[in-house]
Formats: sequence, C-alpha cells, structure tokens
Amino acid sequence: MIRFENVSVTYRGGVKALRDIDLTIEDGEFVVVVGLSGAGKSTLLRALNGLVPASEGSITMDGTEVVGASAAELRAVRSKIGMIFQTFNLVNRTSVLNNVLMGRLSAVPAWRSTLGLWPAADREVAMQALERVSIVDKAYVRASDLSGGQQQRVGIARALAQEPSVMLADEPVAALDPVTSRQVMGDLRRINQDLGITTLINLHFLDLAREYGRRLIGLRDGYLVFDGDVADVTDDTFTEIYGRPISHEDLLAEAAVAGTDPPTDPDSE
Amino acid sequence: MSVAAAVDRPTRPRPRIRSFVVAAGLIAFTIFAGRKVGFTISTVVNLGNLPDNPFQDTIWDKGKIWSLFWPIPWDWVFNRRNVIDPLLETFQIAIISSLIGCSLALPISFAMSRLTSPNWPIYVVSKVAMNVIRAVPDLFWAKLLVVAIGIGAFAGAWALSIFSLAVMVKLFSETIDGADPRPLEAAKAAGGRHIPAVRTGVLPTVFPAYVAYALYVFELNIRASLVIGLVGAGGIGRVIETQRQVFQFDRVLGILILIFVVVIIIEQISVAIRKRLV
Repeated sequence: MIRFENVSVTYRGGVKALRDIDLTIEDGEFVVVVGLSGAGKSTLLRALNGLVPASEGSITMDGTEVVGASAAELRAVRSKIGMIFQTFNLVNRTSVLNNVLMGRLSAVPAWRSTLGLWPAADREVAMQALERVSIVDKAYVRASDLSGGQQQRVGIARALAQEPSVMLADEPVAALDPVTSRQVMGDLRRINQDLGITTLINLHFLDLAREYGRRLIGLRDGYLVFDGDVADVTDDTFTEIYGRPISHEDLLAEAAVAGTDPPTDPDSE
Repeated sequence: MSVAAAVDRPTRPRPRIRSFVVAAGLIAFTIFAGRKVGFTISTVVNLGNLPDNPFQDTIWDKGKIWSLFWPIPWDWVFNRRNVIDPLLETFQIAIISSLIGCSLALPISFAMSRLTSPNWPIYVVSKVAMNVIRAVPDLFWAKLLVVAIGIGAFAGAWALSIFSLAVMVKLFSETIDGADPRPLEAAKAAGGRHIPAVRTGVLPTVFPAYVAYALYVFELNIRASLVIGLVGAGGIGRVIETQRQVFQFDRVLGILILIFVVVIIIEQISVAIRKRLV
C-alpha cells in the first residue's frame, strides 16, 4: 500500500510542484495520473521513489517511510519500485540484456555488477523479463539499434527485472507513435493483471487515460483536483483538471488522424 | 502572394561594438608583447647577418653546416647498443607509463566529474589534486624524479605516468560531464549503489572515448619520452643529448630521422584505431 500524507514538494528556486497531497493506493491498482505539463505528475511519481525529495509530509510504501530516509533505506524502497521513463533512459552503447540487468543492481553484490559478473540466476530473471515483453530475441542487440517501441519494452523489462511490487511509468508513450503507444499500454495493463503489480502511469493523452485507466487522478498546479473511477469521468472532469476545454492535442486518436506524431514535450515537468 | 503577418519581424541585430574593441585590444597586446621580448620580423629575415651572434661565421657558412650533418653514419645508428636498445627503452617507458597513468585516471575521472562524483568532498579534493599535478610541467616532473630516485628509465616512467594521468583525467572527466545522465537516473531508480550504477549506466557510454584518449596519451608519451631523456630520465633522448654535447650532429640527424619514421607509423596505427572507435 502506498500512502501520501500532506505531501508538498518545493523545488530549489521556490517552484511548488506538489501541494498538500493526500492519497492512498491499494496493492494491485492501476492508476492513471493526468494533468497539464508542470501540474506535478512527474514529481508525484519521483517523490515516491525519492528521486525528488518531498519537502513536507509523509510518503510510505508498505509502511516504510520514504521522506528523510537514509541512502540504504532509499535503495531498499527503490528496489521494490520499477520505473519506466518517457525517453526510455537506456544505455545505447550496450546490449539489451545488459540494460535489463540494471534492474538487478539492488539484488546483486556491488563488486559483481561492477565487474560485470552477473550471477546466472539474475541473468535468468532478466531473460524472463524480456520474454514477458516479447523481445527476448533482441537480448544481445545493441539498445540503440532498436525502434522506439522496442526500446520502451526494454525499459519495461528492466523495471520487471527488479521483481517489483510497484511500477511507475512517467509518460511512457509520449515519445511513441499511436500504434506503438497502444501496444506499450497493453503491455503495462497485462503486467498489472498477470503479476498484480501496483501501477501508476502519467499520461498526456486523455483517450488513452480513459481506455486503459481504472482509477484516475487529476493534478492541477500541484493540487490533487480529481480522484475517482474512470467510469465516472466526463469531458467536464477533464475541463476541470486542465482548466480549459479538451482540444484535439489532448487526444491520441486525433493526433493519429492528423497524421502527425504525438506532441512530445522535451521538458515536460 | 503575400502572407498575412501576425507578428512583426524582428530587426536584424547590429554587430556588437564589443567584438571590435576586443579584437583591437588583442592586436595591441600582441605588438606590445613582441616589442617587449625583442621579437621583430626583421630579425628572422636577417638571420645570417646579425651583428651580435658569436657563431655568425661558422654556423651560417652553408658548406660547413652541411658537413656537420652529412653523411649520416647509418652503421652507427642501426647498432643495437648505440640506438636501437635506447629506442626500445623509450617505447617501454611510453607503454608502461601510459598503462599506469590511464588506469589511475579511470576511477579519478569519475570522481572529478559533476555527473558521477560520489560526493562533494571527493569531487573537490580530486579536482584540486589533479590541477596541482597538471600545473607542474612534465619536464619538471622528470627532473624532480631523476633527483629523487636516480638517473634512468625508472624515473622517466614515473614522470610520464604522472603526465599521462594529468592529461587523461582532464580529457576524460570532461567527456563524462557531457554524458547522458538519464541511464544513471534509471540505475539509481532501480535501487543501485553509486559505483555499480555509474559502472552500468555511464561507463558503456564513455568507454570508447576512454580508449581513444588512452591511445592519444600513448602517442604523446612516445614523443614526451624523447624529451625527458634529455634530462637524464632514460631512453633515446639521453643518447641524443650525449651525441649533441660532443658535436656528433650526423649521428643526431640519423637518430632523428629514425624516430620520425617510427613515430609516424605509430601515429597512423593509433589514428586508424581511434577512427573505428568513435
């Protein structure tokens, strides 16, 4: 179980990214977070695994406090939380397998991973993670030689290799074309259902949010302005979250019809 | 066809006066510096006709100067004891010092890069230490070590190891600074410790550059090991210095031609390897 209690994040320079967030997420939930660029979506995910330190409040995962945790405690929490990134964050110059093995960093002694002497059992975990996203045939290919969709599946495999109980996905499809976006969202939903991994996904596109999400969280200027079932969400809800009516840029389908790439925002939050 | 202009076009910015002032200042400073040290173009043109040069008659008599260098005694040059062994020693110095310097440079470069330094104190200490080492010229290191541990190749190898380290950390740590930080973020997010995270998240990206720099440092060392021989730190440089002191310029020329050929061959091999890497 994940609990946010009165969580605020203020960046250096005084920008308030999150304000007084209260939130409880039960095990196995599939949560989609929406909001404009700069609304605090990315900060919300990064506060949970401590990549961004919360300035106030308490964040607990399965009872372990993240705010103010020591380096060792933080590593222990992070080992249970897989993360997927908008820009994949793969090491381009090495093999797909080596990238996925990075998910085993917390489980393998430092000297072994530093020397590249990964235990056979951990290689096996990595291979199984690649099989789960159907890309095991590329295990020994350089990451840079893959397409965007394949790279994101490697990113998912890397997170799965942690054998996590929580999966965070920060705009996982913002850099992908519409067809690939659906495949990646499908992978994430399947993993959530098959393995029962609690999943939090930041999404830019409202139609994807509606199609794949079950619980929807809306952020606006760092405030939590919506938290409810996707079934209850109407266009008015989105207008409320976005502070403006829905435009075609907010819909993946529209972006596909227009024949353009989905708008990628390099400095989104 | 005209396009409706929604926004006025910006006016082209005027060239900045500051650039002209800076250029004029640089020219003035160059002229001033040249005058101060007595460097004039006319000196170069009248080299053979300078009133206060004591070697005027001997050096600039073309027939004489040629006879000092010619013919080259190739028998002497290709003698193992005279030249070949010291030349091999020079390469041995270059190889061992490149290995030592570049090996030490690998961890230190990561410590002194903003991206990968484990913490602030280590960053500052490594950065300052490397700046101090680099502030001392390689020739001075050689002299210092010859005095400290004696004349010979051993002192030379240590001097060049320090020189390699100084050059290598400068080049490589700046490359690490420019590396993609995002895989490192992923490694940290997966709960990795600092060193394994850097090893898996950053090293693969910068390693080709590391190998390329190491080859470049080896090239520098081949040439530098000639120079440090002049101050008694072993190798072919010492032979050149001895022969020069006894006015055997024909032998010196022979050695220089041999070195020239060998250095060019090594550089070509190194350049070919580096091209494949980057």
